[in-house]
Amino acid sequence: MKIRLVLIIILSNIFLSLYPQIVNKKPLSERITGYRFDVRLNPDKHTVSGDMEAFWVNRSADTVPDIRLHLYMNAFRSNRTTMYREMGGSPGNDEKDLGWIEINSFSDQNGADLIPRMQYISPDDGNKDDRTVLRVLLPQPAMPGDTVFIKVNFETKLPSRIRRTGYSGDFYFVAQWFPKFGVYEPAGMRYATKGGWNCHQFHATSEFYSNHSVYDVRITLPSSHVIGSGGMLISEKADGNMKTVTYRAEDIVDFAWTAWPGYAVFNDKWKHVNITLLIPKDRIKQAERQLKSVKHALEYLDTNVGPYPWPHLTFADPPSTGAGAGGMEYTTIFTSESSYFVPPFIHLPEMVTVHEFGHAYFMGIMASNEFEEPWLDEGVNSYWEQRIMDNYYGKNSGLLNHKFLELSDIASARISYVTSPSRQAASNNEYSWNYPHDTYSMMSYQKTATWLHTLEGIIGTETMNNVFREYYRRWAFRHPSGRDFINAVNDVVRKEHGQKFGADMNWFFDQTLYGTGICDYKVSRIVNSKYSKPEGKTDTADPEAGAWSNTDSLYTSKAQLERVGEVKLPVEVLIHFDNGDEVLESWDGKERYKDFEYKGYKQIVWVKIDPEYKIKMDVNFINNSMTTEPSKAPLHRIANKIMTFTQFFLSIMLL
Amino acid sequence: MKIYSSLKSGFLRTLNAGKSILIVWFCIFILVLVFVFPLRRSLTSAFGDSMITEKLADGINIEAFTDLGPVFKNIMSFLTAGLMFTFLAGFLLNSFLTAGLFGSVKNDSMKFSPSEFFSAGALNFKAFLLISLLITLIIDFGFILIVVAPAAIVSLSETASDKSLFMILFITGVVFLLVIPLMLLVADYSRAYKTSDPAVSAFSAIGKGFSLAFSGFRRSYMMMLLLIVAQIMLGVIIVLLLPAWRPVTGGGVFLLLIVSQLLFILRLFLKTWRYASVSSMMNEITAEKVKDYVKIDVNQTETVLPPATEGV
Repeated sequence: MKIRLVLIIILSNIFLSLYPQIVNKKPLSERITGYRFDVRLNPDKHTVSGDMEAFWVNRSADTVPDIRLHLYMNAFRSNRTTMYREMGGSPGNDEKDLGWIEINSFSDQNGADLIPRMQYISPDDGNKDDRTVLRVLLPQPAMPGDTVFIKVNFETKLPSRIRRTGYSGDFYFVAQWFPKFGVYEPAGMRYATKGGWNCHQFHATSEFYSNHSVYDVRITLPSSHVIGSGGMLISEKADGNMKTVTYRAEDIVDFAWTAWPGYAVFNDKWKHVNITLLIPKDRIKQAERQLKSVKHALEYLDTNVGPYPWPHLTFADPPSTGAGAGGMEYTTIFTSESSYFVPPFIHLPEMVTVHEFGHAYFMGIMASNEFEEPWLDEGVNSYWEQRIMDNYYGKNSGLLNHKFLELSDIASARISYVTSPSRQAASNNEYSWNYPHDTYSMMSYQKTATWLHTLEGIIGTETMNNVFREYYRRWAFRHPSGRDFINAVNDVVRKEHGQKFGADMNWFFDQTLYGTGICDYKVSRIVNSKYSKPEGKTDTADPEAGAWSNTDSLYTSKAQLERVGEVKLPVEVLIHFDNGDEVLESWDGKERYKDFEYKGYKQIVWVKIDPEYKIKMDVNFINNSMTTEPSKAPLHRIANKIMTFTQFFLSIMLL
Repeated sequence: MKIYSSLKSGFLRTLNAGKSILIVWFCIFILVLVFVFPLRRSLTSAFGDSMITEKLADGINIEAFTDLGPVFKNIMSFLTAGLMFTFLAGFLLNSFLTAGLFGSVKNDSMKFSPSEFFSAGALNFKAFLLISLLITLIIDFGFILIVVAPAAIVSLSETASDKSLFMILFITGVVFLLVIPLMLLVADYSRAYKTSDPAVSAFSAIGKGFSLAFSGFRRSYMMMLLLIVAQIMLGVIIVLLLPAWRPVTGGGVFLLLIVSQLLFILRLFLKTWRYASVSSMMNEITAEKVKDYVKIDVNQTETVLPPATEGV
């Protein structure tokens, strides 16, 4: 009787909370998982504790014997966890510094105690000291269509050395704070050949992978703390020096929140989206910049990719003591990075804001697996961030816009890739923690963005936009893989360009995404040979006599080109002659070398491969061109300025 | 009035020291050229016959430089090492040249020949080197004490906000900037005193430098501020003019070189004016002290000697 009562209460609570639509007019996702929390922040112990009720629906045709949950906060238990082993360092030795999650009770819909059925597993590396993945054997296997309900009482201790999550003084950024379902992937989903849980450990370089869920969250915390979250505020009740806030979030992959007495709150609106910015009170001068940049990102992605569906968006700029929480994304809440004074010509705060907001699309809406294919969220998102920054802040000055020094965001990414000594150490197709030689960031962010800009250069900007619109249409609120993205590219390119680029674009991805080669084309030589008339004892007539009225000023001109790198991409070649003529040639770029030869009363003055610098993957733009009349003036000017600078520097520094 | 007369006297002395200023310019030009000429050759060789230099028409293009790959790293290493070498060599050279300049401006009636400039430089080289070194160390130590230490203490605090750190840096920075003219005064008085009396040691000269700086502090400090303002005004003109001037032809680049060198010579002129004005101010302060001494002496004799001796 008691069990039945508990079951009814749990079911009615969860169903009541999940079925009404509060945030969106209709469900955007399948909502395979859902969560309800009633928790309390203890500012003395730096803990968040309370109850969680959650469900997982077995939408597969498999009989599933267990469930798997992420306990991410356990990565901060010691320096022996996988995360700390991978990145070095330590979460600290003091109890106040460590982070962990303790499960006090764990039961199913029948009230059965599941604690004896819990087992910490380490599917990635077998590390026994890592407790970030929990397997719970179900009393009865979940049959196809079954819903597994769980009720957990837990306590999460936040770490003091913030790495995405934690506390500093009275500042809190609370993320990865609750037991969270992994993703059950039936055979055929993404790369799964048989059904199973996709639930990786918490790694130093990896991020996350979750189902779109509904969250009902009740948080009790000190009244002095200003709180913001990825949910929509439903109610706020004060009770003495504590307050209880209730949030509702729908169809997001993670729920995070932040609380700090030092926040100033700014509200703004873009179309249907209510934007909330939480920013340290001493940085309120930065608020306008931040709000402007997020509205740019909303507008650009809404236009070129697809609609932002939620009516709310919150972002926070953590204080400098909590900077470890900066630059992170949780779909409807993200963190930026700024400081009290950032000169207006430096667009780093805007860049971080645009980037982190972009994740609302690339892993928020298109919920790819960040553990296994980091390029599909970080790389794709970096590509869009760079387009947005250069579009709104200047084609050549997206990142840095000073009259003496400019830098575009696209160029910045390319520089990072081109100058990396390990740019060929691995392909892009690696699990996030498997990138060798510290190449995770360069490979998953910058190399990917660079080859996506190259793809845009080949197929055109409008086709690229249509690729992403199609990708959005097919995969919004689902779990796409890299292969699904490539399929979208192939289908759209075929539809818009026919066979111009071949049967598909796989040749491109084989070299860029799956390959390790570099792209480098160069002009090796310009040859202008004056026609030589036959001399001596020749047996044939002058071959040019008759064809050319005057062979005295007749030239044979050659542009000699070479492919230095392994990557073969089609390129354009612009050739300029001394009489002003210009010829635009195409080269499929497949052979190791290519000569373009011309005969006439003109000589080649200069040759440019890829004259518009569309092939961003080319690791050396310097050898892309050659001229017979080089201009050294800019270099001499730079040398002169260095000399003048040095003279003045000496004069000022020496008494 | 004393500020004006010192500045005026300093200006006239500086005009007389034109040849010395040109010698200083030439020596520094050669020193810097030793470092910049190979750099220029490296740059032109690295870019070869590429048209990427078009991208440099509008200023420094980071992307174009990073595409140089390992060559860029070599150039940057050369640039860093070259700057360090030039600074160290410049420190030594500057001591010699400054000694020559102070010799050129030590009094109003000086007509200075290049040989005298070099002999004055050689005579006081060691002392000037020591004075420069000690005052530079004092300034560096002062920077650590006034600016770095408070900022470091504030940034260690868990509750420190960006604003508090910024405000600390701003306030201590202003304090440090106010200390700089004082240290320049000490350095200049020390060197002027050493020039006027080559027999004294460098340490005595520094002691005298402090004494002179504080004995006529208000007028000395005000005069130094005015001289620094003049230098800052020139600096503003240079910052507005030179970086934005981006000629793309050989003739334009040559003109840029000429103008920038003329501006540098003007900078040297202003610096020499500072030395000359401080030397002049030192002469005035010293003369006043002698006068005061004589006055005291006269008053004392008044009580001893009969009135007929007054005015002796």
